[in-house]
Amino acid sequence: MASADKPINTDVPEKDVFALHFLQSLSNLRRQNTFNSPEKTNDRVKKIKKAAYVSMARAAGGTSRLWSRALLRRAAKETNKVVRFSRRKKRVTWLRRRSNRRDPVEEEEKEAERLRNLVPGGGAMETSKLIEETAYYIKCLSMQVKVMQCLVDGLSPK
Amino acid sequence: MDLSVLERVKWLQQQQMVSPEFFEILGSDGREELRRVESYLGNNNDELQSFRHYETIDGCISRTSSFQMEQVKNNEENRVIALQNKRKTEGKTEKRENKKKKIKTEDETESSMKGKSNMSNSETSSEIEKRDYIHVRARRGEATDRHSLAERARREKLSKKMKCLQDIVPGCNKVTGKAGMLDEIINYVQSLQQQVEFLSMKLSVLNPELEFHINELSTKQFQACFTDLPEAVSKQSMMVDASSFPLHQTTSLDYSVKNSNQTISLGSKEQTSWEIHSQCLYNNLRTDSVSNFFSFK
Repeated sequence: MASADKPINTDVPEKDVFALHFLQSLSNLRRQNTFNSPEKTNDRVKKIKKAAYVSMARAAGGTSRLWSRALLRRAAKETNKVVRFSRRKKRVTWLRRRSNRRDPVEEEEKEAERLRNLVPGGGAMETSKLIEETAYYIKCLSMQVKVMQCLVDGLSPK
Repeated sequence: MDLSVLERVKWLQQQQMVSPEFFEILGSDGREELRRVESYLGNNNDELQSFRHYETIDGCISRTSSFQMEQVKNNEENRVIALQNKRKTEGKTEKRENKKKKIKTEDETESSMKGKSNMSNSETSSEIEKRDYIHVRARRGEATDRHSLAERARREKLSKKMKCLQDIVPGCNKVTGKAGMLDEIINYVQSLQQQVEFLSMKLSVLNPELEFHINELSTKQFQACFTDLPEAVSKQSMMVDASSFPLHQTTSLDYSVKNSNQTISLGSKEQTSWEIHSQCLYNNLRTDSVSNFFSFK
């Protein structure tokens, strides 16, 4: 399947990159002392989920994509880490102001709003860029799901 | 610009609209349209007010003319209009509608030379015709309408990208139109996110059972495990290097990965629990990746 579409470039890294990142994050999680306690399952689930997203963002190209940047920033906020991004950050906020100001009236924007809420970092993008990012995001998400599914299948008792 | 339009309209009203020449030119079709124009332009101020919405046709009135002097062309136009009526109308602001409607030209510069009465009359009739449809093909001679050109270009870009999305999201081919496709896409993204959550819940249950000594593994080993079988076989030479890593029973691990064709004995109790689990993992991942390659790619 040729993933080189002309308008959108949806070349996602191979599955092993995702797997590597995810397993690394999992092993980091395991090192935490409180991780294995059987009581706090909710916390554990949340941490694993967050680890999944963060590892996906890193595997998909780190800071080169808007949604991955937004994901990483969101994750870093919770841990009070200082995240460094390149200069692009300013342009992103400028776009957000621009799109918010002129668009809410159109019906197309109403439709796009739901998508914006789903895709991380969606509020800062114009519609065409949003569609690109959505395509890439969907591919990365499906890769991540595949990796996790394989893991679960591998680990589940036979 | 507003004033000029209104002035013209008022002038038309005063003139009682029609000169006898027109009827010859219009033929039967045109007569109905003119009647429509008359009824519309009536004497009410309200109608004038509503007509005002179309004031934003900046200067196009002097330029554009959809009014064809020949009967044949008129028929063609009607056919085109009918076709365009069937197209799906996208909801936009009125301003944009107007901007698009005015893009309909043939011999505009010539017609602008003709008498003003003819022009304004034809324009009003054309405007009323145009109100039925929104998508007007941009034909030659409307280069000054930068806004509409830009709009058109942007719209085409968007539709191209939507088509790309259509290929990615399964099940999008059956639904046509932007709204339906967007719904499908949103559902798909939501379902993917729910899957992630579900799988992470599963993992949280399974996870405490084993330990990952992932840091001790090299990336090469990972690649060998997660990609195709033939690739894994070709990377056997690299596997030899991994034996220098401080793993528990390193040799057995390498052996298990090398012998991809043989079934790995999972029942050997001498190995640590990690070994067993990791072997299962690697096998599953390898076979799954192969099947996934075939089915998903």
